[in-house]
Amino acid sequence: MEVKITTSDGVTIVEISGNLDANTVPQAESEIMPLIVPKCLLVLDMGKCQYVSSAGLRILLTITKRLKTTEGGQWCMAGVPQEIMDVMEMTGFSRFFKTFDTVSAAVKAIQEGV
Amino acid sequence: MIRIDANPTREYNGFDLRAGKPLPFGATLLADGGVNFSVYSRFATACELVLFKKHEAQPFAIIPFPDEFRIGNVFTMVVFDLDFEDTEYGYRMDGPFNLEEGHWFDRTKILMDPYAKVIGGRDVWGKIPDWDNIYPHRARIFFDDFDWEDDRPLEIPLEDIIVYEMHVRGFTQHTSSGVKHPGTFMGIREKIPYLKELGVNCVELLPIHEFDEFENSRISPITGERLVNYWGYSNVGFFAPKAGYAASGKFGMQIDEFKALVRDLHKNGIEVILDVVFNHTAEGNENGPYISYRGIDNKTYYMLTPDGYYYNFSGCGNTLNCNNPIVRNMILDCLRCWAADYHIDGFRFDLASILGRDQNGAPMNSPPLLETLAFDPVLGKCKLIAEAWDAGGLYQVGVFPSWGRWAEWNGKYRDDLRKFLKGDYGTVNAMIQRLQGSPDLYQWRGTNASVNFITAHDGFTLMDMVSYNEKHNEANGEGNSDGSDDNESWNCGWEGPTEDVEINRLRKKQIKNAAAILLVSRGMPMILAGDEMGKTQLGNNNAYCQDNEISWIDWTLLDTNAEIFNFYKKMIAFHNSHPVLRSNRHFQNIDYMGSGYPDISWHGNKAWNVDDSNGEPVIAFLLCGLHARGGTSKDDYVYVAMNMHWEPHSWELPKPPESLSWHVFANTDKLPPEDIWEVGQEVMIENQSEFIVGPRSIVILIGK
Repeated sequence: MEVKITTSDGVTIVEISGNLDANTVPQAESEIMPLIVPKCLLVLDMGKCQYVSSAGLRILLTITKRLKTTEGGQWCMAGVPQEIMDVMEMTGFSRFFKTFDTVSAAVKAIQEGV
Repeated sequence: MIRIDANPTREYNGFDLRAGKPLPFGATLLADGGVNFSVYSRFATACELVLFKKHEAQPFAIIPFPDEFRIGNVFTMVVFDLDFEDTEYGYRMDGPFNLEEGHWFDRTKILMDPYAKVIGGRDVWGKIPDWDNIYPHRARIFFDDFDWEDDRPLEIPLEDIIVYEMHVRGFTQHTSSGVKHPGTFMGIREKIPYLKELGVNCVELLPIHEFDEFENSRISPITGERLVNYWGYSNVGFFAPKAGYAASGKFGMQIDEFKALVRDLHKNGIEVILDVVFNHTAEGNENGPYISYRGIDNKTYYMLTPDGYYYNFSGCGNTLNCNNPIVRNMILDCLRCWAADYHIDGFRFDLASILGRDQNGAPMNSPPLLETLAFDPVLGKCKLIAEAWDAGGLYQVGVFPSWGRWAEWNGKYRDDLRKFLKGDYGTVNAMIQRLQGSPDLYQWRGTNASVNFITAHDGFTLMDMVSYNEKHNEANGEGNSDGSDDNESWNCGWEGPTEDVEINRLRKKQIKNAAAILLVSRGMPMILAGDEMGKTQLGNNNAYCQDNEISWIDWTLLDTNAEIFNFYKKMIAFHNSHPVLRSNRHFQNIDYMGSGYPDISWHGNKAWNVDDSNGEPVIAFLLCGLHARGGTSKDDYVYVAMNMHWEPHSWELPKPPESLSWHVFANTDKLPPEDIWEVGQEVMIENQSEFIVGPRSIVILIGK
């Protein structure tokens, strides 16, 4: 798994590629959690993510929870592959996440306050 | 703060190890990244931990438990640096092999952990397994957390519950269900709006613990189809939800999917009761496979004859040794897990009488297991429902040891109601008991002890009960010898489906009659899923092996039998909106509120006068609205006239209180839309003193 961080118009885009599972969650956690600061705007680009395990879903939910208690912080996901989206739906996780088809749609939405 | 015992103390073939903690049993993920393995065996002399990568044929490691790591009869060890999501584990146990002594140790067998929380191997329902797999049912390690969002069991009072008994797969597997993931927990989640429309507030799921649908699987000589263990009354593991029931089972996420279902049902006011099978396991008799218990500690887990054979009180080859202290604790740990970790609202215990037998199989007066469950703090608000009989001849309906906590499947309700329904003479006195919550059986326990049902998964569906005199189980491949012969059914004049308009009309009427009686009886009503739309199994009264259209609900029946669904829906609404129908108190048959009417009164063709001298299946009762909930609630008056005779009967109506008049809520003799009305839209009748009740018909009036 690889985490690539870029910014676009004040929005931080975190691209996750590869597998998000128990092996890689600690690394993802250490790279993403520091980005969660007051007024942060995050888009998680999942377009190149191939697999999200149970532990992977949990880190995504943890990000949501952390952002809820971070003043002005917002985030959403973009480009989630259908199979991963299905898993999120089956397990009841999808209701916690906002998702958009493309990164640009996500960036636009988050700038407008999703 | 870093623990000083966080470091390994020794190494084995590249694996860092440390002595583990004996409790809790099972595999527990530790904060320091290690996994604590702990397994009980009294008679094993040695134990090895066998580790596989997910789905791999051969293990990648076999680690013996060092003797210093054993505490008492528990083998325990922490293994560090395991990729827990990709690991499957089992045990190999060494010990005596002496069948007369009850010991079945075989150190070549890889055994599943009895406390496994996730079990792999049957991840997708019906996928033909690799029969040569050296470890077919594999324990996995789970990170045990879930975001319940303040959910907890609903604790709906028993008297307000309407149970809907369903099979997870059968509910949505039919293509007509229209759900995205048929046959799964997710499928039920998609059908929650339907359950709400119907109006039930509790689903009782046939076993959802990991079982092997391929157990005793065979090809039907009649249909050529593969027969499987469809019902699932045969546990592989007690702690794990069935992977094949989860759309996400192939990803190993069945726990999350099932919890999401429970949470969403709760959000919609619907409780979840699990059908639990603690009477036997899937290991069968002396010829059965080693899965877990037999190889871990046969003598502890099973009831054995003095010669070391398996007692068979379950009819399934073996009997779990429920009142052995170790097994008792396992059952308690298991139920606590389902109640606390899964927020389950209650349990229905299959062949529960076995839970009251001692280690030699003799029935006990105060079975410690049943007492423990009745008083356990974690289970304190869970509904406990017994199937109060077993396959060894114990029949305890009315006398199941209850400590005021246990309810029962009331088999007598089912039998008496069926006889009455088909018009048997001499059935009225029994019906008077059943309609009142069976005070003859539950005088000291309240009417909540009685789960009232006419049909359940085991037996005819309601449509088949009015369409067949005899069972038709040929498709099961046992020459129609399986299944009960004692059905008390009546085919209304023709065996099986017919084009005859009159017969079909009578069948629908009989179904409505059954639904009406069920929903005006005191006690907890239970509806078999599909009955509300006239589901048929083509006369098969034992469809345990039929994973096909015999068992699955055909949702197009909602259109075909719209009038049945409409009737059920409105009867359920009627039940839910009239507190006079729902109370844990027994009727006293007197007026203790000074209303001028007893709480319940009985009527024949003459008001206030029951003449049962000729034995006709004809009876009416009146509920006084001022006695609702023991006089603590106020309701309408409810009058129910039941004429199961094949002739019409004219009924003199009891006079309602001065300001009230009789309105028709239901009359099963009428065709839709006049068979039943919306609650609150009941129609005032012109003749307030007399009502003609058609043949085999029920009339429900309310005084308002």
